[in-house]
Amino acid sequence: MIDVINVTKKYGKFIANDNLNFKVLPGEISILLGPNGAGKSTIIKSIAGLLRFKGNILICGHKNKSLEAKRLLGYIPEMPVLYDMLTIWEHMEFIARAYSLKNWEGKANELFERFELDDKKNKLGNELSKGMQQKVSICCGLLPNPRVLLFDEPLVGLDPHAIKELKLMLQEYKKDGASILLSTHMLDSVSEFWDGTNIMMNGKFMARRTRKEVLGTGEDLEKLFFDITESKKESKEEVK
Amino acid sequence: MKGLSYLLITTFKNRFLSLKRKPVLAVLYGIIFISIIFMIVAFQADTTTIKAASYKDIRILYGIIALIGMLYVVVFSSTGISTGSTLFSMADVGLLFVSPISSRKILLYGLLKQMGATIVSAIFILYQIFTLRDNFGIDSKGILYLFIIYAITLFFCQLLSIAIYIYSNGNPFRKNIVRVIYYGIIAIIVISVFVLQLFRGGTLLENGLTLVDNKSFQSIPVIGWGVMFFRAGIEGDILALIVSLLLYILSSMVIISLFTSGNADYYEDVLYSTEVTYNKFQDAKSGKKTFTKNVKVKEKVTGIKKGIGSSTIFYKHLLEKKRESRFLFVDSYTIIASIGAGIASKYISSGVAGYIILAVLIYIQFFGTMLGKLSMELKRPYIYMIPQKSLHKVVAASLTTLLKNVVDGILLFTVVCIITKTSPLINAFLALAYASAGLFFVSFQLLAQRLFGGQPNKIISLTVGLGLFFILLSPGIGFSIFAVSVLPTALTFLGTLPFTFSCVVISAFIFGFCGDLLDKAEYTIGSN
Repeated sequence: MIDVINVTKKYGKFIANDNLNFKVLPGEISILLGPNGAGKSTIIKSIAGLLRFKGNILICGHKNKSLEAKRLLGYIPEMPVLYDMLTIWEHMEFIARAYSLKNWEGKANELFERFELDDKKNKLGNELSKGMQQKVSICCGLLPNPRVLLFDEPLVGLDPHAIKELKLMLQEYKKDGASILLSTHMLDSVSEFWDGTNIMMNGKFMARRTRKEVLGTGEDLEKLFFDITESKKESKEEVK
Repeated sequence: MKGLSYLLITTFKNRFLSLKRKPVLAVLYGIIFISIIFMIVAFQADTTTIKAASYKDIRILYGIIALIGMLYVVVFSSTGISTGSTLFSMADVGLLFVSPISSRKILLYGLLKQMGATIVSAIFILYQIFTLRDNFGIDSKGILYLFIIYAITLFFCQLLSIAIYIYSNGNPFRKNIVRVIYYGIIAIIVISVFVLQLFRGGTLLENGLTLVDNKSFQSIPVIGWGVMFFRAGIEGDILALIVSLLLYILSSMVIISLFTSGNADYYEDVLYSTEVTYNKFQDAKSGKKTFTKNVKVKEKVTGIKKGIGSSTIFYKHLLEKKRESRFLFVDSYTIIASIGAGIASKYISSGVAGYIILAVLIYIQFFGTMLGKLSMELKRPYIYMIPQKSLHKVVAASLTTLLKNVVDGILLFTVVCIITKTSPLINAFLALAYASAGLFFVSFQLLAQRLFGGQPNKIISLTVGLGLFFILLSPGIGFSIFAVSVLPTALTFLGTLPFTFSCVVISAFIFGFCGDLLDKAEYTIGSN
């Protein structure tokens, strides 16, 4: 479970996240929607323990920077960052050893097969295209079988097969009781599997909906998104 | 053409205005500008006369010009055979190449831009004005000629590299022809020196100097033309000056006509090199080391094989090192630095050679360490995410850099020891001082990240790092200098101990203070 309590993140005077509060329950897929610069990556990085912030973030009850929390976390960054001098299979070995995993080879093989990487095990990180690197990055994040998954724009750059597999995997992790937080600015790409959605703008949550609420009211999420993001722009122009 | 001139002027204007948002960079440029002005004024005002008899042989300077020319010909020709050079950026490729502007005009724009960059890169020569005057009696006119010929050589070699790429791209036979030509020219020069020695006697150096002073040597493209230009400049030989300039201009025109004549489509030819240059630049910006050579994964050298938890980072680095260099910690830097230390040992008085070499090596080591493995890890999220204690991870990520410094120290000062015939004990302590300076630089990286947060700007880190090095270690350096001068000969080897001690103590303190860095640092790459 992810528990974000009064989290504010500032870069100098610029407020990237403004007093955010939310939860992602076990077995739930929560989406962060928002235009570029809304603060989606910042909150994901804060949860992953990569940024300093004001407030509290708990991962299954542990402070997010504690070793217990790190064991439960999987983070897939927006830009894949691999090691130039390691083969992609060695990336798996590295993660397995660093996380002290046992009998990891079966899981790594399964991930490679599903992402069609099994014939590229001996390729170096820098020999792959951006999309391939993204697949390896996802495999690195999933290998320790995390209970909390943080995806920052995971579908960008993936081929249709990999997108299909990743969507399937997300459902499987959800069924298995993992808490999943995923950022995107492409509503269509996640429409079929989200449980909760948070529309962000200027570091704040402008609207939050659950799937039940939307199904109950018949509200058009896309319209809501544009109403929020474009009305802000218009009001800025009016002020000018 | 309006669009291109707008682009050139606006880029320059915006680069200048952006300094308002980068005060440290602005201060750095200011310091460079003021120091150059100060040097030029001081150079003009300094009327100290040095007896002409004490000047070194001017042919040494001709030799240096020829060697730089040779180095550039080899480096740029090799680049031409592999990736080629480029006059353009990725933005030029994306926006200009597809625009309805003549490709000739775009080429002219690229040439102008490159010329500007080349002139700026030649500025470092101005820092040598006092050395050149005191050693070779070169006046301000001579410095200007040196500045011009350096810029021309560099610019011409870049053109040459593109021409070689256009000529040899995808054709192994032509690539071999190019190799035969440039290695052939160098082989002829080297053989000529030996032949001269055979007939005239004397040392190789003496015969090498005789060769570069010879008029027929000066007709060799680039390598000799530069010498011809500089010599003509300082001797006031207008005809030779014009001839050398004409040689460069005519050859450049031939190369440029190769780009634009007939069906030559230089867009495709520069596209790959532009992408390679862009990727290198991006990697350098994000702190990644760039590997230009193709690394092939050997079946025997696969797998990290050892380590669990934090220690995995160390074993991963060992595997990466094995891929980068066949001899693990002994790489091209070790070899080049050993040769340099060996040459310096030969020509500097043996009593002080070790200390001077140590100072120079530590200066170079600083830059090497700042691009080391720890720096690479801090630019990736994995080290922050691994569920282990921060201090353990930081130590594991620093170990290979520390070990490399130990190995380099031992090898480098073994060379110094053999050539200077000084006590092995003194050299062992010099090696220890070198390794401890490496430890200090590693710890400084932690301090920099802790102080500045995020992934600190490289220029700021380097500037502050050097400053801190002198501030924090000045007592150690001072005590060491004092110790070397007062200790009896039998105990001189202990002279570097205060420096080593202060490096170790300060580093231990920084590691202790910043060991929890990974829990408090900010990984800001890719934030929005």
